[in-house]
Amino acid sequence: MHAPVAPGLLPGRAAALKITGLRVEFPTITGQSKVVVRDLDLAIGAGEIVGLVGESGAGKTTLTRSILNLTPTPGRIAAGSVCFGGLDLLRLPERDLQRMRGRDLSVVVPNPRGELNPLLTVGKQIVNIARVHLNLDGKAAQVVALDMLRAVQIPDPERRMKAYPHELSGGMAQRVVIAIALVCSPRFIISDDATSGLDVTVQAQILALLRQLVRERDSAMLFITRDVGIAAHFCDRVAVIYQGEIMELAPCEALFLSPRHPYTAMLLAAFSHNPRLRRGWSGPDTAPRQDGTQPGCVYAGRCPRAQPLCVGSKPVLGEVTPGHWARCYFPLETA
Amino acid sequence: MNLLLFIGRRLLFIAPQLLGIVLVSFMLVKSIPGDPAVLMLGPTATPEAIASLRNSLGLDYSLPVQFWIYLQHLALGDLGTSWQTTRPVLEDLLQRFPATLELVTLGLLTAVVIGISLGLASAFNRHGVLARIADFYGLGAGSLPDFWLALVLIFVFYTLLQWVPAPLGRIDIAVIPPNPITGFLTVDCLLTGNWEALRSALGHLLLPVMTLGLINAGPILKMTQSTMEKILQSDFSHYQVLCGIPHRMVVRHALHNALPSVVTIISVLYGYLIGGAVLVEIVFSWGGAGQYAVQGVLNSDLYPVLGFVLFSAIFSLFVYLFVDIIYFTIDPRIGH
Repeated sequence: MHAPVAPGLLPGRAAALKITGLRVEFPTITGQSKVVVRDLDLAIGAGEIVGLVGESGAGKTTLTRSILNLTPTPGRIAAGSVCFGGLDLLRLPERDLQRMRGRDLSVVVPNPRGELNPLLTVGKQIVNIARVHLNLDGKAAQVVALDMLRAVQIPDPERRMKAYPHELSGGMAQRVVIAIALVCSPRFIISDDATSGLDVTVQAQILALLRQLVRERDSAMLFITRDVGIAAHFCDRVAVIYQGEIMELAPCEALFLSPRHPYTAMLLAAFSHNPRLRRGWSGPDTAPRQDGTQPGCVYAGRCPRAQPLCVGSKPVLGEVTPGHWARCYFPLETA
Repeated sequence: MNLLLFIGRRLLFIAPQLLGIVLVSFMLVKSIPGDPAVLMLGPTATPEAIASLRNSLGLDYSLPVQFWIYLQHLALGDLGTSWQTTRPVLEDLLQRFPATLELVTLGLLTAVVIGISLGLASAFNRHGVLARIADFYGLGAGSLPDFWLALVLIFVFYTLLQWVPAPLGRIDIAVIPPNPITGFLTVDCLLTGNWEALRSALGHLLLPVMTLGLINAGPILKMTQSTMEKILQSDFSHYQVLCGIPHRMVVRHALHNALPSVVTIISVLYGYLIGGAVLVEIVFSWGGAGQYAVQGVLNSDLYPVLGFVLFSAIFSLFVYLFVDIIYFTIDPRIGH
């Protein structure tokens, strides 16, 4: 079922995080389990930003949480491993993993005003993280937190330290969450749709800031988004995920200039301003959802190019050209 | 500064609130059937005697005029006279209200300790043994009547084991109580250094306090448990877990967020128990304010009832004011 070689890194990069054969299932009322992330392989190199693009319900958030072994209930990780710094995160004792979360691996969440503790000042919340993970005393943590607020370019950081979450604008709160995510200089950062609630100009500022901070610290990043346009601007490589499977994985430019998978083409067309392209490729998702027990390609029901082979057996994620992977029997030649 | 303004504004509203409460309770008590003059003079009284007593009690006047006279007396600190005890209501209440308050306060403290600690323990580990006990306890405490539990406790600890004194009042008849300073027997004993009386008073407090504590821990436990559960499932708790905050600290922050709800249920119980503990008072012959008010209602003794309502209204208003101050200090979103 797996690709013979794990969808690899760009040449000359060591993996910061490597997901192998990850499978996450949710139990259903009927007793069968629904597979939300299916046999997913992905490696992310140090200093690299990998985008993960897909529509709602594709399994993006489940994947992020599962990397940290915090699969949303009642889901469970059925198989696979997540290698990070020589350790398999999925087999680590909870106590060790808790120490690593927020310190070595951190998450930038969307809707930050709902995610921050409403009763504590933002300064205190950053200080807490610094104290817990960096073993700093109160005073040193205070200094670190203030520096971090400066680094995320919050105006008047001394005053913002004493502000409560409800006193911040959305953009400001997003910067605070980024500060929390980066205060321990983690080696791996997951940005889970982090800018989706912001208006476009603020979004651009935040993304530029995030990229700058990631580059400065040589961290690796998994950048999850629904917005293909943002992924195109922001990432080194992009993975397209559909119903918990990676459909295509390629360097950013290759993916957007010559998508190989029909689903990628459809996604790009949906964001396109070219009406002919949009008519040709987009269409509502009317195909019945698969529960993973069908033999064929998960996209076959929706695919305009589906052949009998696609319904009968599942394609593997194969390397079409060097570094460009697609899960399709009949990859597109050009878009 | 903000806080002072807030308290000032709240205090301004207390006077009209009290006036409203007095008006409503006056009308309600007046509408209870039964003529106090008839009850006071007994079955053999002549119609003339009844008429003259009614006249001297002011019962001839129309209701608004009666209310006005009552208010005038109230303004001078005169709460009327109880015809049953033939003493000024104010004196009676100053003696009985502390008895009830002492009982209810200690009972509620016990309930808070049991309820919050069990609620927290079960929130800390949802599948632990303590969580099971808490579920079971919440169910049990909610379904038991307090007077029944009081009788069971008396049977076990007085009749069978003889660990506690007889359930008759606040102190042994043989023990000389200290001169009332605050009216709270335990406090007065401490102030006067009267250890023998203190021992006896605590012995008498034990069972009624346990009764109120065990019963009222139920709602506090339920509130703590459900609020904590909700908050631990909320986005910001999940986010803290995602950030690698230790479980202990996540629970502590959740408790901070759950406090307003828990404080609310405690304050509601406190206000309610002043009158609501009356069955327990009766079982233990406590001689408290609740018993006094019930006697008043049963015998058309108007002024004790009104006095009790007034006392507990003032008490409740101050409890709620205090609760608002707690909210104010817990939650930065209030009042800014």
